[in-house]
Amino acid sequence: MSQAESADIVVVGTGVVGCLIAEQLLDAGHSVLMLEAGPRVERWQIVEKYRNLAPITTTNLDAAYPPTRWAPFLDSTSPLTAVDYLQLEGPNARAYRQDYVRYAGGSTWHWAGICWRLTPEDMRLKSLYGVGRDWAFDYATLEPYYTRVEQALGVCGPSDPELQWPPIRSKPYPMGRLPFGPGEQKFTDAAARLGLKNLPAAQARNSGVAYDGRPPCCGNNSCIPVCPIGAKYDAASSLPRIEAKGGKILVNAVVYRVEAGAANQVQAVHYFDPDKQSHRVTGKLFVIACNGIETPKLLLMSADTRNPRGVANSSDQVGRNMMDQPKLVAELTLAEPAWTGVGPVQGSSIMQTSQGDFRREHAGALFRFNNMARSRLGAIQALNKGLVGKALDAEIRRLSACTAELTIEHELLPDPNNRLTLSDKKDALGIPKPNIYYDVGAYVRKSAESYSTPLVKQLAREMGATDVKVTTEFTNSDHIMGGMIMGANPADSVVDVDCRAHDHPNLFLPGGGAMTTAGCGNSTLTMAALALKAADAMVAQLTHA
Amino acid sequence: MMARLIRLIGAVFVAWLAVAAPQAMAAIDPLVAEGAYLAKAGDCTACHTAPGGKAFAGGLAIASPVGTIYSSNITPSKTAGIGLYTRDQFAAALRQGVRRDGANLYPAMPYTAYAMFSDHDIDALYAYFLNGVPPVDAAPPPTRLPFPMNIRLSMTAWNLIFFRHRSFQADPAKSAAWNRGRYLVEGATHCSTCHTPRGFLMEERPGLAFAGGQVGAWYAPNITSDKTRGIGSWSKPVLIGYLQGGVAPDARAAGTMGEAVEHSFQYLTPADLDAIATYIETVPAAGKAEASDRFSQGQPGSKLALIRGLSPAETDDATRGAVLFQGNCGACHAPLGQGGRDGYFPALFHNSTTGATNSNLVATILYGVNRTAAKGQAFMPGFGGSPRDSSQLSNHDIALIATYVRTQYGAGGPTVTEKDVATVRQGGPSSPLVLIARIALCLGAVAAALLIFLLLRRVRRANDRHPSAGSRSEPAL
Repeated sequence: MSQAESADIVVVGTGVVGCLIAEQLLDAGHSVLMLEAGPRVERWQIVEKYRNLAPITTTNLDAAYPPTRWAPFLDSTSPLTAVDYLQLEGPNARAYRQDYVRYAGGSTWHWAGICWRLTPEDMRLKSLYGVGRDWAFDYATLEPYYTRVEQALGVCGPSDPELQWPPIRSKPYPMGRLPFGPGEQKFTDAAARLGLKNLPAAQARNSGVAYDGRPPCCGNNSCIPVCPIGAKYDAASSLPRIEAKGGKILVNAVVYRVEAGAANQVQAVHYFDPDKQSHRVTGKLFVIACNGIETPKLLLMSADTRNPRGVANSSDQVGRNMMDQPKLVAELTLAEPAWTGVGPVQGSSIMQTSQGDFRREHAGALFRFNNMARSRLGAIQALNKGLVGKALDAEIRRLSACTAELTIEHELLPDPNNRLTLSDKKDALGIPKPNIYYDVGAYVRKSAESYSTPLVKQLAREMGATDVKVTTEFTNSDHIMGGMIMGANPADSVVDVDCRAHDHPNLFLPGGGAMTTAGCGNSTLTMAALALKAADAMVAQLTHA
Repeated sequence: MMARLIRLIGAVFVAWLAVAAPQAMAAIDPLVAEGAYLAKAGDCTACHTAPGGKAFAGGLAIASPVGTIYSSNITPSKTAGIGLYTRDQFAAALRQGVRRDGANLYPAMPYTAYAMFSDHDIDALYAYFLNGVPPVDAAPPPTRLPFPMNIRLSMTAWNLIFFRHRSFQADPAKSAAWNRGRYLVEGATHCSTCHTPRGFLMEERPGLAFAGGQVGAWYAPNITSDKTRGIGSWSKPVLIGYLQGGVAPDARAAGTMGEAVEHSFQYLTPADLDAIATYIETVPAAGKAEASDRFSQGQPGSKLALIRGLSPAETDDATRGAVLFQGNCGACHAPLGQGGRDGYFPALFHNSTTGATNSNLVATILYGVNRTAAKGQAFMPGFGGSPRDSSQLSNHDIALIATYVRTQYGAGGPTVTEKDVATVRQGGPSSPLVLIARIALCLGAVAAALLIFLLLRRVRRANDRHPSAGSRSEPAL
């Protein structure tokens, strides 16, 4: 075992959360070392990898990111590989097949860039509706951090408060909204006829102008799996800047143990290199920023005599309250072309349907038009029909233009029974794979039956659908939340209001796992806001030390 | 007559500036407004405003072949700027390159061109800089060039050899537009500062006016009226459009020219732009003969059939250039290099950047393009010229891309090497003067003085011969 490295702040994970924290600590004059389990690749390599895939595999949107032997993650390229890493059980095991990548830059490599905020109500479920939990602070506390993240990532959004969600903001978006593609406009018009407002999404995507050295979006429509030009924010784009500021980034360093010492201060983390040689890294403050699956896994693996249930786990809440937005999908056949695919893969949502007094009884939901171009799906379907020649061309065109997909994402409550534990199965380095029990619960099922599915059918009809098929099996939205839940009470939560572990004064666990409730919108902006709040606390802690 | 014309144009622009330049609104003095316009024409801000800094407060690091020169604060601050300058001291700085304390300016300040400014325009500029610009009391870092360039007195000798103080004399045989154009081109807009090649001692080489020169990482190409070497194939509206927006059908302004469009040319009146174009169209052909022009080279195409399906391990340097091109450039410039339909992403063939073998292609890949004019922003990210760029391509990979692009879409010519890229990355070729200076530092002051004396004599002799273009062999920079 060698004493390899040391820094003021050791950040495990190089995704959006780790990178925002690293940069802020570097700006405050502290030394930063980042550890990344996966490899580091250039954008062009992913772009070319994607373009070289066999056409049939391009529908697997993570196929351009093959997992390494030492840093595995869910690989959806085949039914066999899809069940290899994440060990899933429970009534809705299928709905927790979370896509994330263990690469330098993290999963923002292949996010859609959507930046919804939580609403004040989303943060007070218990006191307003008697369900879930209340956050330890209110929206007003979080708002300045939301604003800072929007500046840091470069978020575009509408300037008209009527179109903002929620319209409670201290500063305008740094860029104006992107226009709707024709399909999204059709959906917006249909929603309006039903008295619903389809809002332009706030998105970390440059609209019409360059931002932070990245070019404006030109509508490649491949945000997932990768923005080929970097117009969409991804954390990978900040890695050179972090290095230019003096930060050090170690890749292929798989952290497997958080070492707590006297007074339960964390004093080191240990990592394996790909050859399973172990290295120890010391520091003053430690940040585990591996999001809601890998972070709780690492904490549970780090159990010692002083922390028998795992590091940061005196509450027994580490790995519990696993959340996401359980998704249902409506496939539409239309008489007229919708022209899906003009602009980014997502650009809007109906958000008002996530709010209301009905939340006492069942979950709210957001509805959105999936703007991912349908040409490859159309081509696969047309080929499966056995068509050839002109008939094949015509059918590909019809299926690409005259079909559409609407997506429903439901709010899930934090439930301690939805729980990540360590599987008996091990990965190539001998590290336990994560095991997750998952049940979306009656709250979501009731919403799907009585609220969201009927409404999506109405929306489909209003769009002129001649045929609608709504899935009944929930699937994953890839918004991993809850595994190190935040709260004021150390007895029933893992981290405090600054994402600091209740049990360890120098250990920070920011990101989606710290979120107390999930809301219906994408989690990244809230994860990143919590990261900046944690970074402020770290700077203060180092200053007072 | 000329002076009246200038005053007339100035008066027209008082109204325009009231809208365009809020700081000029406080000053009702039309002379201040005229000066503001002339400061735009002179592009003073290009050097005297640092990125993100206060207007005219200086501090921009200008990488010259002999070392970094920091621009000065030209706000009316009495401590850090030019607040204590009298009108005549201000005139001496602009037209003779002499500071208030009597020290010489380096010719990074284009006083050899500004010498053309009329007395009236000096009055206007003085009025503007003293009364129309907010003072900033912060002093920029001092310029510290390597020995012997740090001895400003050496500039006296330089001026003696190279500086011909020329006040403007209208040519009655030419039109008013041509005369106005010459006044601007040779004076305020100081085009020759970049577009005329520099000699061994950084002087503009006689007989090669506007024949093209290296400006740090970028190359300011031949803009003489020659149809092959220069821009003689451009119509007047094309040239005016290029100056206004940085866009011609077969060329885009980037680097220092992009800045000139953004900070200066786009603000000039249609009459002045027309005058500039009128004069430029008559600049005599000069410079190295070229077999073909830089605007009509290349055609669409790709090597996709060769590279699709190859794993990275299967690529070699021959195919890797095409792979790197598709992965880094293809999403915007399109797989066949044809660009976008609206021209925001230019085609790479019939494009002066790929149609020439100067440093501009590599500089564009390294530093990108960022130019804002009336029609909005044109932006291309850099691919590693700044350590903050999100893509950090190696010199090797950039050389492969540049070679692929030039071969597939442009002038062809020699392979771009890693060393070529390294030169652009370090800010362009450095002058042998620096090497000589360093050797001199080792040899000691006596030897240095001797060396400089010998050098000066050599150049003076060369100058006395009044060589014509192309007839003289010079050490290549």
